Amino acid sequence: MKTRSNREIRRDQIVGVLIFLTIWEITARFLDNKLVLPSVSQIMAAFWDLLISGELILALSESIWLLVVGLFISTVIGFILGALVARSRTAYWMLNPYFSALFATPTIALVPLVLVWFGFGFPGRVIVVVLAAVVPIMFSVASGLRDDPKDLVDVARSFGVKGELALLFRVRVRAALPVLLAGLRLAAGRGVVGMAVAETYLRLGGIGGLIKSYGSLFQTDYVFASILPLSLLGITIVSLIGRLERRFHWS
Amino acid sequence: MKMLYKPSIWLPLLSLVVVLGGWEVVGRSINPLLFAPPSEVIKQLNVMIASGELAAAAKITMQALFLGYLLAVVVGIPFGIIMGIFDRFGDILQPYLYAIFSTPRVVVVPLIVVWFGIGFEARLFLVFFWAAIAISVNTAQGVRHARPDLVEVARSFQANRMQMARHVLIPGAIPFVLAGLRIGAERAIVGVIIGEMFLQIVGLGGIITQGSSDLLPAKMLCAVVVIASMGTIIVTALDMLERRFQSWKGTV
Repeated sequence: MKTRSNREIRRDQIVGVLIFLTIWEITARFLDNKLVLPSVSQIMAAFWDLLISGELILALSESIWLLVVGLFISTVIGFILGALVARSRTAYWMLNPYFSALFATPTIALVPLVLVWFGFGFPGRVIVVVLAAVVPIMFSVASGLRDDPKDLVDVARSFGVKGELALLFRVRVRAALPVLLAGLRLAAGRGVVGMAVAETYLRLGGIGGLIKSYGSLFQTDYVFASILPLSLLGITIVSLIGRLERRFHWS
Repeated sequence: MKMLYKPSIWLPLLSLVVVLGGWEVVGRSINPLLFAPPSEVIKQLNVMIASGELAAAAKITMQALFLGYLLAVVVGIPFGIIMGIFDRFGDILQPYLYAIFSTPRVVVVPLIVVWFGIGFEARLFLVFFWAAIAISVNTAQGVRHARPDLVEVARSFQANRMQMARHVLIPGAIPFVLAGLRIGAERAIVGVIIGEMFLQIVGLGGIITQGSSDLLPAKMLCAVVVIASMGTIIVTALDMLERRFQSWKGTV
C-alpha cells in the first residue's frame, strides 16, 4: 500500500476539520435545540465566556495541580514498589497479584470507598488519581529493572561506581528509561481519567466539577466548552511524554 | 522468565494469608460504617447470593455489557477495515476518534443524559461507542500494516486479490484486531459500571452506589470484588487469545 506524506495527511485533516465544523454548525442550526446539540458558534461563545470570567483557568489550574501531585506520588510509590518487585521474589508475590487486581478494577468503582475513608477534600482526590496511575508505573519499573544490564553494570563498576543504590540510579534506571517513560505515559492517561472521576464524583472544583455543575444545569454548550480543554489537556500530556520517550529511545 | 517468578507453593499462600489477615485485623479495628473485614464481605456475599440480589444485578450488568460489546464488534471491525482500505478517510477520521477515546467518560455523562436519557440505551451507548472506537482503530492499523515481505512473496507468486486477502492481509490484521478486542473489552467494562453508578442506579455498579449511600461497606466491597473478578476473567481470556496469535504479527 502506498504511503502518503505527512504534509498530505495534515492538509486532508485540516480540510476535514473545516468540513466537520461546518456540518456540525448546519445540523445544529437545523435542529435548533441547544439542549441536545448546541452549534459550534454557541460553544465558542460559551468557551469565551468561561475564559473571560476566569472560571476555566481557575478550574484547569486546580485540575493540573491535582494531576501533578497525584502523578508525583504515583511515581514515588510506583518506583519503590516496582524496584522491590524486580529484586525480590517475596515482594513479587506479596504485591503483584493485588496490584494486578487493582489494575483490572475500574477506578470509578473504588471512588465511593475512598470517599468514605478519606473524605471529600484534596487528599481524597489525590488518592483516586494515585489508585488510577500507580500500577502502570510500578509494572514498568519492575519490568525495566528486571532485565539486568550486566555489561553496563560491569563497565560502571570498573569506572568506580560503588554500592547497589548508586548502581541502581546511575546505571539501571538510565538503561530502563524508555520502559519507565512508557509506563509514565500510560499512567498519565489513566491519571487524567482518575482526576476527572474524582472531580466529577465529588463535585468539587476542577474541570470535572465545572462539567458536572453545568451538566446538572443542562447547559450543554457550556458542557461542550469545558470538555474540550480537558480532552486537550489529556492529549497534550500524553503526547509530550511520548515525544520524550522517542528522544530517549536508545536501546 | 527467571526462576524468581516461578511460583513455589508456600509463597503465594503466605502472601494470601498475610494480606487477608492484615485486612481482617484492620477491618475489625475500624468503624464498621467505614470498612469491612473479609469475613464480613464473604458473609454479605452469601446473603446476596442467597437472596438472588447479586444474580439479578449481574444479569442487568451483563445484558448491557454483552449487547453493547457485540454491537461494537459487529460495527467496529467492518468500519476499521473501511478505514484501513481508504487510508485518506482513515487519516481524516483518526484525530476525532483519538480525541473521543482519550476523553474521560465520566465527563461525557451529562451529554449522554441529554441524548439517551438514563436508561438501558444510555448504558448501551457507553459500552458500545468506546469499545467500537478501540476495535475499529486497531483493525484499521492491522489492515494498513500488512507485512511487506509477505506481500512481496505473494505478488511474485502472482496471487490474485482474493488470495492476497485470504492468505496475507487478513491473517496479518488478526493480531491487531485481537488487541482492539481486548482494549475494547476493558473500555466496555468501565463503561457499563459508569452508566450504572451515574445514570440509573442498577446492576453491579448500582450496588456500589447504594452501598455507599447506605453506609454498608461490606456490600460495596462485594460488588467491587465481583466486578474486578469479572473484568479480570474477560480481559485475561482475550489477552491469552491475543498472545496466541502474536507470532502472526512478525517483526514490524
